[in-house]
Amino acid sequence: MESLITAAARALEAGDPLGALNRVALRNDAPSLALRGIAMAQLGDLAKAKTLLRSAARAFGPREAVARARCVVAEAEIALVLRDLSWPARMLAGARATLASHGDLANAAHAGHIEARHLLLLGRIDDAERALAEISVSPLPPASQVVRELVVAGIAIRRLKSRDARAALERAGKAARQANIPALVAEVDSANLILNTPAARLIARGSEHPLLLGEVERLATSTALVVDTFHHVVRKQGVAVSLGTRPVLFALARLLAQAWPADVSREALISVAFRAKHVDESHRARLRVEIGRLRTQLKPLADIRATKQGFELAPRKTRDVLVLARPVEEKHAAVLAILADGEPWSSSALALALGMSARTVQRALEELARSNKVQSFGQGRARRWMTPPVPGFPTGLLLPGPLLKA
Amino acid sequence: MKRSAAEIVREYGPFPGVEAVHGVTYDGTHVWFASGDKLNAVDPANGKIARSLDVAAHAGTAFDGRHLFQIAEDRIQKIDAATGAVVGTIPSPGGGGDSGLAWAEGSLWVGQYRERKIHQIDPDSGKILRTIESKRFVTGVTWVDGELWHGTWEGEDSDVRRIDPDTGKVLEQLDLPEGTMVSGLESDGGDRLFCGSGSAGKVRAVRRPGRR
Repeated sequence: MESLITAAARALEAGDPLGALNRVALRNDAPSLALRGIAMAQLGDLAKAKTLLRSAARAFGPREAVARARCVVAEAEIALVLRDLSWPARMLAGARATLASHGDLANAAHAGHIEARHLLLLGRIDDAERALAEISVSPLPPASQVVRELVVAGIAIRRLKSRDARAALERAGKAARQANIPALVAEVDSANLILNTPAARLIARGSEHPLLLGEVERLATSTALVVDTFHHVVRKQGVAVSLGTRPVLFALARLLAQAWPADVSREALISVAFRAKHVDESHRARLRVEIGRLRTQLKPLADIRATKQGFELAPRKTRDVLVLARPVEEKHAAVLAILADGEPWSSSALALALGMSARTVQRALEELARSNKVQSFGQGRARRWMTPPVPGFPTGLLLPGPLLKA
Repeated sequence: MKRSAAEIVREYGPFPGVEAVHGVTYDGTHVWFASGDKLNAVDPANGKIARSLDVAAHAGTAFDGRHLFQIAEDRIQKIDAATGAVVGTIPSPGGGGDSGLAWAEGSLWVGQYRERKIHQIDPDSGKILRTIESKRFVTGVTWVDGELWHGTWEGEDSDVRRIDPDTGKVLEQLDLPEGTMVSGLESDGGDRLFCGSGSAGKVRAVRRPGRR
């Protein structure tokens, strides 16, 4: 390899991006463009870094497939940090296959981790776990181990499994100290914070209190009938009735559970579950139909009895009914939950992650901005949204290991 | 053109603390190789590093009988092999795009990697005396018995080839096994060619085919 490229690559590896830039700033050959891209990314100019890496990928010759694949991986990682979720996943998968087939296993694993984080951000937990399982673990460098464990913890947290999450974060912390990268240590710390922040609210017999992730987990073994608003299921120990595709039935179940052991009036059920302002006879008829359907669904767990006013829940073989709800149930809570990662998001990336229409997300953001719960910067397509920043938020940028070596 | 598989006679390394080999030369006793911030002398009999000089060493290495020449950034350093002192510096012809280095017939020969060129330069002034065009990216250069050999490394392919110094035509080519890189090349004056291996951190001895 060339002399100045070697010198610049060594400077980059030693954590001296300015030294690297000094050596290749005026050169436009492919390796120089790639090194400049990585250096700019480390200096925080991600937009410039993206352009440079893309030019580098184009400039590498047909025989330089590995070098090109590393550029693609670096660009994908920058896209992830920029929350550009529409970035073509297909390209990353291709680059990963190229790296693996040429024996660059460390960078292939890095590509796999980016893929898993992307899926996690999109809420595709099972796919993220599958992507993670495909990565061969044995000789991972410490920095990659941190990323891996953070993804494992992320999956466990989304699944409300606190013990798994804690164990993964402990391993991540150990590896981060070994890698000696402050940004990674900070990222592990902020992930730890999530475990000590209320993850849910418990509503029972008309009163409510916050729950940590571990307490949520323990509920799984309780003998109470639980109406779980995270997963839209009604469950008791091993038995679960999923109402994910039946929002009206779930809303009725939740209202009945929240009021238990009292009953709920027909008017209240109609106005909340059907979002009706004025209750008329047709609503009453519909309520009878829906309650009938819910009764069929809940048969293994509870009965629904008619009362003079309306209906009441009658759980089988238990003396407790609980509702597990999100910590904040304000309007647009889902948007806020995603922005809670402290990163700048485009409205289109939010829409992708939430599975909502861009217009709906846009309206939610504008409303939240009016109450100062979110802020935006940039204009047009470059506009990004974030919650007021937390100090020292990490970028999560690692970039492919030694890009160029001779 | 004769083409055959390279016969690897022996491998030296990997060496502790050495991430990559950037250039190789031979002083008659030791094989020297450049490893970024050091020049290391390996005893070819036992494969151990006998001596190391602290000097920037990013690409090609050469030896003129008394001095080591070493490319660092965009210049060529002249180093007293006995003391390790840098006694002179000339600009490199490729301005930092330089790769291989050889000494022969009173001149330095410098490979310019992506330009696919080999320059013959004046070792005192750095002036380019003539330029030979190659077909591939050039990593190492050496002269032996009037033969000009150079290493190539383009993407994931490497070979060692003998070219006509006047026309650049490839006369003979030794292919290395897939995934084996050549960074730095030096003849021992006999039938061995020492090859650097890039980030594999090794030095390999390849048999130079005999003339008949």
